[in-house]
Amino acid sequence: MLNAQRLGLVFFPAFDWAISPTHPEREERLLYTRDQIVEEGLLDMPAIREYKPKIATIQDIERVHVGVPDIASLITNAHLVSAGGAIAAADAVMKKEVQRAFALVRPPGHHAMRIVHGTRGFCTINMEAIMIEYLRKTYGIGKVAIVDTDVHHGDGTQDVFYHDPNTLFISFHQDGRTLYPGTGFTNEMGSPNALGTTLNIPLPPGTTDRGLHEVLDHLIMPILGDFKPDIIINSAGQDNHYSDPLANMAITAQGYARLADTLKADIAVLEGGYSIEDALPYVNVGIVLAMAGMDYSKVIEPNIADCPSQTSSVTHYIKDVIKERQDMWGKKEKLQREAIMKHGEFWQTERSIYYDDEGINELQKERIRLCPHCSGYVIIETKARSSLHYKTAYIGMIPQMACPACLKAAYDMVHKAKKQGNYQHYMVQNKQEDRLEKL
Amino acid sequence: MGFIPGKRGDNMFLGLDIGGTFTDGVVVADGKIVTMVKTPTTKENLLQCILTVVDKMVEDTGSKAFERIALSTTIVTNAIVEGNIDQVGLCIMPGPGMNINDILPVAPYILSGYIDHRGREMAQPNKEEVLSACRHFSSCDVFVVSGKFAVRNPCFELAVTDWIQGQVSPMHISTGGKVSGSLNFLRRTNSAYYNGAVWRHFNAFATAVEEALKMRGIYSPVFVLKADGGTLPLSVARNYPVEAIFTGPAASTIGIMGMNGDAHVSGISLDIGGTTTDIALWQKGRPVLAKEGAAVAGHGTGVQGFRLKSVGIGGDSLAFWENHVLKVGPMRHGPAMAAGGPKPTVTDAMVAAGFIDFGDRALAVKAMKLLALQGQSPEEMASQVLDKAVNGICQSIANLLDEQAAEPLYHVEEIIFETKFVLENIIGVGGGAAGLVPLVAKKLGISYTLPENGRVANAFGAAVARPTLDITLRADTAEGYYTVAELGIKNRLPRGKFSLQNAYELAEKHLAELAQKNGIFIGETQIIQSEEFNMVRGFTTVGKIMTCRLQVKPGVLQYGKEELC
Repeated sequence: MLNAQRLGLVFFPAFDWAISPTHPEREERLLYTRDQIVEEGLLDMPAIREYKPKIATIQDIERVHVGVPDIASLITNAHLVSAGGAIAAADAVMKKEVQRAFALVRPPGHHAMRIVHGTRGFCTINMEAIMIEYLRKTYGIGKVAIVDTDVHHGDGTQDVFYHDPNTLFISFHQDGRTLYPGTGFTNEMGSPNALGTTLNIPLPPGTTDRGLHEVLDHLIMPILGDFKPDIIINSAGQDNHYSDPLANMAITAQGYARLADTLKADIAVLEGGYSIEDALPYVNVGIVLAMAGMDYSKVIEPNIADCPSQTSSVTHYIKDVIKERQDMWGKKEKLQREAIMKHGEFWQTERSIYYDDEGINELQKERIRLCPHCSGYVIIETKARSSLHYKTAYIGMIPQMACPACLKAAYDMVHKAKKQGNYQHYMVQNKQEDRLEKL
Repeated sequence: MGFIPGKRGDNMFLGLDIGGTFTDGVVVADGKIVTMVKTPTTKENLLQCILTVVDKMVEDTGSKAFERIALSTTIVTNAIVEGNIDQVGLCIMPGPGMNINDILPVAPYILSGYIDHRGREMAQPNKEEVLSACRHFSSCDVFVVSGKFAVRNPCFELAVTDWIQGQVSPMHISTGGKVSGSLNFLRRTNSAYYNGAVWRHFNAFATAVEEALKMRGIYSPVFVLKADGGTLPLSVARNYPVEAIFTGPAASTIGIMGMNGDAHVSGISLDIGGTTTDIALWQKGRPVLAKEGAAVAGHGTGVQGFRLKSVGIGGDSLAFWENHVLKVGPMRHGPAMAAGGPKPTVTDAMVAAGFIDFGDRALAVKAMKLLALQGQSPEEMASQVLDKAVNGICQSIANLLDEQAAEPLYHVEEIIFETKFVLENIIGVGGGAAGLVPLVAKKLGISYTLPENGRVANAFGAAVARPTLDITLRADTAEGYYTVAELGIKNRLPRGKFSLQNAYELAEKHLAELAQKNGIFIGETQIIQSEEFNMVRGFTTVGKIMTCRLQVKPGVLQYGKEELC
């Protein structure tokens, strides 16, 4: 369509949803953002079209997640609407009604991993991942790049796409040694078949617009150019802001707006950001204007004087990170060959995952077949303990392009485990047939 | 002046709707139309057609003692569209945010001063700047002051207004917050700008109307219709002329409400006039309000109206062939051939098909013959024209319903438990309704009603529309203040616990004061928007933010139960 508007905005502040009354994820979170957007008159701009969220289905969610015992009992209606908001944004772009879209929705999702026992880092299901799998199924999208600009490492999104060479996941965040969730280090690069398509950029506390844009211009943009994705998704967290109460970075509304302007993501989805009065109203107006191709130069926080400047040690540190990450990207094929040689037929890992919102400790054992014909089936053994529950499951995952051998092997493994009977639940996520089977 | 039965004649209300082509007038007594008149609109001098109607009404009723004379007039819309407006000194305090300098109707003078979303004063306005703005606009007699978030704190708009007043004493100063109490700086600024720009023109008109009536010995109070279907005393409208844009469709909507009685159905109304059909949406017997204000000359304003859609199909719409495709409207080349017009119209098709009895049927049949293709009978042609017109109207109805369904919702419950709008009935008014509404209803498979005297629903609506007012009260218990934008007040909250219920009560009190000041009887009120949020800082609840918008319910005057003023 020639007259396509420039930005589709799915605004869904979920004014009746909170994790708990005083939780950062509460009704009030986007109140001041709503006030600012409406007061500016942004929704009247011809370049901007507001969309209503859709309601995601359980099938949309199970394309990504395996809930234990099931996903429906772990989520609220708000999650269905938030995921549906991301889907509505994707549809608007794919139908070419708008050039790009911003799902300014809550609840957030980038800490939600494939296996879900509950809520962690305010997230239960992963909005971007659900949207991406919806895009692949509905529109046949192949290569996707996700740029996660939240201050926290997008460990959930990383987990979902860790074995997928067609999804480039780039996350910059405050260094995991200083902030939740404590991951996102440079050595997390994807499993051998997808090595290099997970790219973490840990940044030191105190990084300002200057440092951020060095990273963007000299690292992220060239890598995106090299990867040539069909679509670019921005996990648009806003907690790198200098006033955010949960982190220690020094990005401004101008920094975020310029980021949106440079990145030119096809679809952005809101993640975190908890400076609800001093940052979010301005950051969101800046991002909306930038994505709509409008003048954002006047979006400046009234208390901008509080923003610290970048120290020289931070500047040097960032230069080194950029250099190291550029080198890695340059030799990722070599690293991949080495990793495949080293691991043989299976790559496996064991880790403990903490669900901070509910005090659940999950122990997860994961094994993927390094198949020469497809991206390989995955087996996950999960045991989750909290003061209330002990839940276990044995799960097989079959990728969409699975070879017949991997397809059969995954079912065989789950049936065999069921016979042994060491787990409470046995499931196969069959992406070829777009369904989750409970055995 | 209270309502005293018998004193002003027989409880008679005069309503006038000045349309683009015709001016309709009715006198209503005890809910019934006593007399009606139609006269061509004298565009160059609206006063003339108003007086023609008034004189005729006096003659018909033998009385000059009307309870009220209410005007639904295009005076403001025409003035804006025709550029018959004054230069105004537009001073804005935009603070940080979107750059709106280039999208306002005229170039603004930018002042310092910024109120944030909580109503806090983040940067002070500067008197020196205001004085240079006055010099910059030295040729202007009217000023407009508008500040971002002024509805959260009116102090800066008031201070700047005072400085301008002190420096140049202009004839009038419009302020954004008083013209519209809702968020949307851009729309408030546009509203205030147009309010200022038409102020002198409207006041000249108001004075002319009052003097002309006085000369005739008519002392009835004059009211003006608003786009939201309410009325304002002319004396109040003098300061809020922008409220009088797009009152035509609002008049007929209120008229339908009055004619439809207590039918609590959901559906649509069609006001089928000569050149256009206005479609309104009804939910349980009440018209649905538009989410955004009306737009004028391409600029969105904060003026509240009904959710309406206009389609360029009416009784006088031309029927013609274009590249072998039959077209209906939007142009009009005079009346139907049946009424002596030059070209085939939708009305001719209705007459030829036998759906209505109007004018000379032979001429209507001739019109269809003119239009018919070889081998096509006039009846077949008529039915094809009507199909085309009905399809056009049905398409617009479908678009309106789609727009309603696409309206964004901000609560989970609203989305999960959303009910689809179900059409139950069509109410048809206007000259073309009798012929077209049954066909539209048949196509949609629903029932219809054609109120008696539906042709003058617009003037009837003006006659019976209730006076209305609305205010927006916002309380911030953490800051300890509340504001009422339309009144330009910021007051301390009472000590102790303050609940949403207290906010409603406080709003009622202020609305009553405003009604009294404006000489309006306050009957039934309704909350048109209300919300309440807990404010949490750290892990402690520090207060609440409450907003409630309260309105004197627009609708039909209850005879004998309500006083006018």
